[in-house]
Amino acid sequence: MSYPPALQDIIELFEHLPEQERRENLIVMSDGAKRQEPKEGETFDLEDVRKDEECTDTVGVYLKVDEENKVHFAITLGPLVQTLTKAMTSILCRGLNGARPEEIMAVPADFVPRIVGAELVRLRSQTVYYVLGRMKTAVKMYLDRKRAAAAAAA
Amino acid sequence: MNSKFSAYAHPDALVDTDWLAANLDTPGLRIVESNEDLLLYDTGHIPGAVHIDWRRDLNDEITRDYVGPDAFAQVCRKNGITPDTTVVFYGDKSNWWACYALWVFQLFGHQNVKILDGGRAKWTAEEKPLTREVPNYPAADYPTPLERDDTTNRAFYHQTWQHMLAKKPMVDVRSPKEFSGETTHMPEYPQEGVLRGGHIPGAKSCPWATAANPDGTFKSAEELDQIYTQNLGLKKDDDIVAYCRIGERSSHTWFVLKYLLGYDKVRNYDGSWTEWGNMVRSPIERSF
Repeated sequence: MSYPPALQDIIELFEHLPEQERRENLIVMSDGAKRQEPKEGETFDLEDVRKDEECTDTVGVYLKVDEENKVHFAITLGPLVQTLTKAMTSILCRGLNGARPEEIMAVPADFVPRIVGAELVRLRSQTVYYVLGRMKTAVKMYLDRKRAAAAAAA
Repeated sequence: MNSKFSAYAHPDALVDTDWLAANLDTPGLRIVESNEDLLLYDTGHIPGAVHIDWRRDLNDEITRDYVGPDAFAQVCRKNGITPDTTVVFYGDKSNWWACYALWVFQLFGHQNVKILDGGRAKWTAEEKPLTREVPNYPAADYPTPLERDDTTNRAFYHQTWQHMLAKKPMVDVRSPKEFSGETTHMPEYPQEGVLRGGHIPGAKSCPWATAANPDGTFKSAEELDQIYTQNLGLKKDDDIVAYCRIGERSSHTWFVLKYLLGYDKVRNYDGSWTEWGNMVRSPIERSF
């Protein structure tokens, strides 16, 4: 399975790090989660902000697709979201921004333990997969709307 | 002493944030952070605090049990804890995992244990200092305990079964929908592999959160007495078992019943619903 190049680079960086360095880099990524929020005045093709039953706080996924059919995400996280989920949000925005919708839909979740490490993927940290799911859902919603619009136009 | 604490059965089992802030460098004191959020300690912690991870440090994943005496002693040694050290636990989630870690320390007979009332949330809300500097204490001398006492504070599946047959008091501290069987996951959490919803027959529902204030501190002795003694009908000499899903929320209730209200015989069934609910032919009740 090939990943979008930016995500592949992040996977290769993390999976060879010793445990302590991996944790330190995850904290750096977590610290950077705020930078993934929408900028003042920024507009999007799709906004999906909600508090799901299985997540501790509200997560907002904002998506726009440029004229080259490349996806750009922004994400907001409520304050109760776990540190690991914040880190994964930064990683996913960096790794998936610029990919095409079909590429994002094809990304399997099996890279998560390679980044986070088996030690940290465990009971009570499963929301580490949640943000990826939400991003894919947003892309699917975008594609469905696009198809519906095309069908209506035809 | 904090005036609220003096009404508890064991006031010394708690410290407040002001006391801890004034005693960060007190010799013989070790502050331990235990969280659900695995990286929270790394983002900043109380100065001088060490991190004890509920799974990495306290669980034996191969046996699906707690660590043995040797491993426990190793955890203490590497964190500069001796048998005489006073250990103050704090953490996220209203101290679920702090209470859980304290409970494990009790299995090994470490008596000098306390909880920071309000835990990490209160400390940070008061903008008390946090640091990312990880302390490096000299290895301490902690003799390997002779045994892990699994009888006083812990209940296993078959003991809980006998408890149920004897119709002794059992407190289900999960959320109302988990208790009724309407849901098989905790509110705000994904499914954790439970096959059936419901509760142990005869158990009474009293969610852990009823014992906590919105800021994560424990409710007053008077309020707790109302909840557990008046409303739930627990008596001081009752033989009580508390359970939840994997034993962390029930550690919180165990701490409340044992240390704050002074119930003599309280055990935490740490196998809890992930064991009982999944066991073949284990009886359950539903109420929705």
